[in-house]
Amino acid sequence: MSKSTNVSKSFHKILAHFFPFMISYSATFNHQSMVLPEQEHLVYNIRLSSVGPGRVTGSDVVHDLSGLDIAMKLHYLKGVYFFTDQAVEGLTIRQMKETMFYWLNDYYITCGRIRRTESGRPYIKCNDCGIRFVEGVCDKTIDEWLELGDDSLHNLLVYHRAIGPELSFSPSVYLQVTRFKCGGISLGMSWAHILGDAFSASEFINNWGRYMARLKSNGPLTLPKSLDNKIEKPHDPNQFVKEPLSAKQVNPVGDLWIAANNCKMETFSFYLSTLHLSSLQEKILGEDGRKRISPFSSVCAVIWQCIAKVREGFEPQIVTVCRKYPNYDNNVLSNSQIISAIKADFSVMEADLKKLALLMADDQGLDERNKIEAAVEKDDGVTDYIMYGTNLTFVNLEDANLYELELKGQKPKFAYYSIQGVGDEGAVLFLPGPPKGSNTENEGKLVTITLPEDQVLKLKTELQRTGLLPTELE
Amino acid sequence: MPPVLPDFSNSVKLKYVKLGYQYLVNHVLMLMLIPVMAAILIEVLRLGPEEINLLNSLHFDLVQILCSCFFIIFIATVYFMSKPRSIYLVDYACYKPPVTCRVPFATFMEHSRLNLSSNPRSVEFQMRILERSGLGEETCLPPAIHYIPPTQTMETARVEAEIVIFSAMDSLFKKTGLKPKDIDILIVNCSLFSPTPSLSAMVINKYKLRSNVKSFNLSGMGCSAGLISIDLARDLLQVHPNSNAVVVSTEIITPNYYKGNERAMLLSNCLFRMGGAAILLSNHRSERWRAKYHLVHVVRTHKGADDKAYRCVFEEEDKEGKVGISLSKDLMAIAGEALKSNITTIGPLVLPASEQLLFLLTLIGRKIFNPKWKPYIPDFKQAFEHFCIHAGGRAVIDELQKNLQLSAEHVEASRMTLHRFGNTSSSSLWYEMSYIEAKGRMKRGDRIWQIAFGSGFKCNSAVWKCNRTIKTPTDGPWADCIDRYPVHIPEIVKL
Repeated sequence: MSKSTNVSKSFHKILAHFFPFMISYSATFNHQSMVLPEQEHLVYNIRLSSVGPGRVTGSDVVHDLSGLDIAMKLHYLKGVYFFTDQAVEGLTIRQMKETMFYWLNDYYITCGRIRRTESGRPYIKCNDCGIRFVEGVCDKTIDEWLELGDDSLHNLLVYHRAIGPELSFSPSVYLQVTRFKCGGISLGMSWAHILGDAFSASEFINNWGRYMARLKSNGPLTLPKSLDNKIEKPHDPNQFVKEPLSAKQVNPVGDLWIAANNCKMETFSFYLSTLHLSSLQEKILGEDGRKRISPFSSVCAVIWQCIAKVREGFEPQIVTVCRKYPNYDNNVLSNSQIISAIKADFSVMEADLKKLALLMADDQGLDERNKIEAAVEKDDGVTDYIMYGTNLTFVNLEDANLYELELKGQKPKFAYYSIQGVGDEGAVLFLPGPPKGSNTENEGKLVTITLPEDQVLKLKTELQRTGLLPTELE
Repeated sequence: MPPVLPDFSNSVKLKYVKLGYQYLVNHVLMLMLIPVMAAILIEVLRLGPEEINLLNSLHFDLVQILCSCFFIIFIATVYFMSKPRSIYLVDYACYKPPVTCRVPFATFMEHSRLNLSSNPRSVEFQMRILERSGLGEETCLPPAIHYIPPTQTMETARVEAEIVIFSAMDSLFKKTGLKPKDIDILIVNCSLFSPTPSLSAMVINKYKLRSNVKSFNLSGMGCSAGLISIDLARDLLQVHPNSNAVVVSTEIITPNYYKGNERAMLLSNCLFRMGGAAILLSNHRSERWRAKYHLVHVVRTHKGADDKAYRCVFEEEDKEGKVGISLSKDLMAIAGEALKSNITTIGPLVLPASEQLLFLLTLIGRKIFNPKWKPYIPDFKQAFEHFCIHAGGRAVIDELQKNLQLSAEHVEASRMTLHRFGNTSSSSLWYEMSYIEAKGRMKRGDRIWQIAFGSGFKCNSAVWKCNRTIKTPTDGPWADCIDRYPVHIPEIVKL
C-alpha cells in the first residue's frame, strides 16, 4: 500500500515538474472576473496583520480532514458584507480585532495551518497561527460602490490568496475591513473550502457578530476527540467502484492550491424580487405546482435551459445541485452540504420547464458525498479534485443565514458570496436578497452566475428573452 | 580541597561535618560569649549574694554619671545619624500585556517569512532559535509589530510606551494608594527608545506631577538598567529625607524590530518581548510596616574597559544599512567573567562567615601551597533564599545555574518568566519577583538576589530582604496563570 502511494506521489511530482508551463499558463485563468488595472486603486492603504485565538490551544493539536474536505481543497468562498455607517458608528479596528481574539478561541481550527503527513495527505496543525486581517480604505460611498454594478470589483474588498506554495505559511481565512467615504464598512471574507462549506463559513462569521454584541462568550476549550463525520463512512471502500459524477480529478497542483481553468471565467449577478419569483413560478408550474417545487428549482430550471441553448450541441445533461444538509450541526465546521448529481436523459433545450424543475426538487438526484469521499480516500487524499464546475453546479444558499451577521443590531445592507476556483462548466449561486424592512418574506433572491466569459453575453440575452433578467441592464 | 576528598563529599558524614563547621563559624561570637557568661555566673555564685552590693561598691559621683550619660547619648546620636537611611520597596506593579498582543511561535515565524521574503535561510535560523529559546506561546509583541511589514514609526513607539508605562503606573497607584503629587523622584529607564521630550517627561505630563519633581531618564544602558535605576534612587533617597521615588523599567520593542538578514542581529527579534514594571521606593519611616522589601545592597560591576566586553552587545548597521543589535559569539564567556567580578565584590557583603573563611583558606592555599587547587565557589544558597536571574535567554539561566550550583527550584522563577513573558529586558527581574510571591514562597526575612546583565558589559546585583510575608493570592501578571506553572520546558519545541 505504501509502495503504491510512494510511486503515485513521485509520479505526481514528476508531472508537476514536467508541466510547469501548462500549470502556470492555466493558472492565469484562475482569476475569475479579474479586476482591471485602472480599477485597482479604488481600494488603497492596504495593511496586513494577523489575529488569532487569545487562548493557547496546546502543542500537537491536530485536525484531521475528511475525504470530502480534501476534495474541496481547490475551491474558496468569497463573501462580502456591507454595513452602513449607523451599524459601525464608533467602532474601531482595535475593537473589532479585540473581539476576534475571543471569537477565534472557538475556531482555533481556522487559525491552524495545512501540513502533510508522510504519505502526502493534508491535515491541519492547530498552532494558533491565526487568520489574516486586512484593512483598506475606499473613497466611494457604499451606495456609489454598489451602483458600479461590476461584480468583479467585489474582489477588491476580499483580500484573497490561494493556499500555497508554502502550505505552512498560508492562512486559510482572510478578513478584510474596508472603510468607505460614507462611514460604512465592508467586511470581506476569503474562506478556504477545505475548512467547511458556505453554511459553516456563514455561521463562523455570524458568531463574530454575536461576540461583538456580547451575546456569546468562550466556553472551556474542547479539543476534537475524533473525526466528527456527518455521513456514514462506507463499510467497504471498494464498494463504490464508479467515480462520482459531481467531482473529477484534475492535474496535480502540488502545493499551490489553485484550480486551473482552460478559459477565463466571468461572474455576473441579478436580483429577483419576490413578485418576480412568484410570477415565474406561476408561469412554469401553474397554480398547484407551486406548493411542491421551490423557487430555487424553478429558477435553476430556467437557467439550465438557457445555458443548454447557449451551448447548443454541448448541452449539460448532468448537473450538480448543492444544498444544506438538514441535520447540519452549526457548532462544527464541516463540508456537510448535500452534493447531488442530477441526470436529464432527455433534451434539456426543448424540455418542459416543469419537468426540469421537478427533476431538481429536494428529493431528487443521487447524493454523491459517500462516492466522493471514497474516491478521495482510495489514494489517501493525494489526488487533486474539484467539485464546483465539474458539471454545471447549482448551489442553494437560501438558508445560509447570510443576513444574520449583525453589528449594533443592524443587519448588513447587502451580502454577496461567490466561489473562487469554479471549473469550466460553471456555477450558479442562489443567495438570499437584502432584507427590505423587518419582514423577511419580502427579501427576494440574488442569483450569481459564473461561466466562461465567451458564454456570458449569450446567456444574458437568453435570460432576458425568458424574462428572468430585466431588460434594462446596467 | 585536595583532589582526593571529592569522593567523600557524597557521604553523609561529610554533610554533618559541614553543617557543624558552618554552625560553629557563623555563631562564633555567640559561642565565645557562653564561656564568658558561664565564668561570670560561677564567680557570682561563688561570691554569694551578701557580698554583692553593687551600688555601694561603685562609688558614684554626680558629674561622672552625667558625663557617662551624655557620652552614651552622643555615641548613640552619631550612630543613628551616620547610619544610611533604610530604603523600603513599598510595592511594585508589572505590566500584563493583553491577549490581543499575543504572538504564538507559528505567527512569529509566518510574519518573519513574509517580512524577510528575500532570505528564507534567515527564517530557518530564526525557527531554530525559537525552538530552543525557552519561550512559550503566550509572549507578547506590541501592536505595531503585528503588521506585515511592521509599522515602525515614532508615533507607534510612543503608543507602545504609553500603553506599557501608564498601565504599570496606574496599577502601582492602585496598589499603593500613592498620589501622583507625592512623587518626589522619578526615574525611567528604557534602553533603546529615547525620544525628546523624554519618557519621564511623558509620565510627568500624563500624571501632572509636581514642578519640583526630580526626574531622570536613563537610556542606552541595556538590560541591567533596572538595577542601575534602583541604585540611583537609593543614592537620591539618602540625600533627600522623607521622599518617594518611582522607578519605571521598560523596553520599547517597536522601533527596534530588526528588518534585515544578519543572524547575530536576528536573535534579539526572537527573544525580546513587551513588558514593563513600576516600583515605588521610599525612605519614610512610616512605610516600614507596609513595605514589602528593604534594600540591603546594590553592587555594580562594569567590564567596559575591556574591548571585547565593550563590543559584545553592539548596536550598529548591517551590510544593507539596517540597524540592529549584534550579539557576539563570546557573550556567555564575557557574562561569566562579569559575574565572577560581581560575585567577588558581593561575596564578602552577604556570605556567612563560614563560607568566607573557606573561600579565604582556599585562596591562601592556591596562592601559597598549590595553584592547582580548584577555586572554591562559595555556596550562595546559604546567603539567599531566592534568586532572580535576568531572563536574558535560556543560555544565560543555564550558565548561571551551573556556575552558582543552583537547583532547579532556585532558577524556576527565571525560567518560567522567560516562558510566559519572554525577555522583557530590565523589567524581567520584577516579573520573577512577582512569580515567587504568587507561589507563596516569600516569607518575612527571606533574602533575594537580583542579578542582571547588560550591554557594556555590565553585571549588576541587588540584594533585598523581605519585610513581611506576602500572602497569596497576589494580584499581578501571574494572577490568572500561576496555577499552570511550573511548566516543563522541552529542550527543543517541535514547531
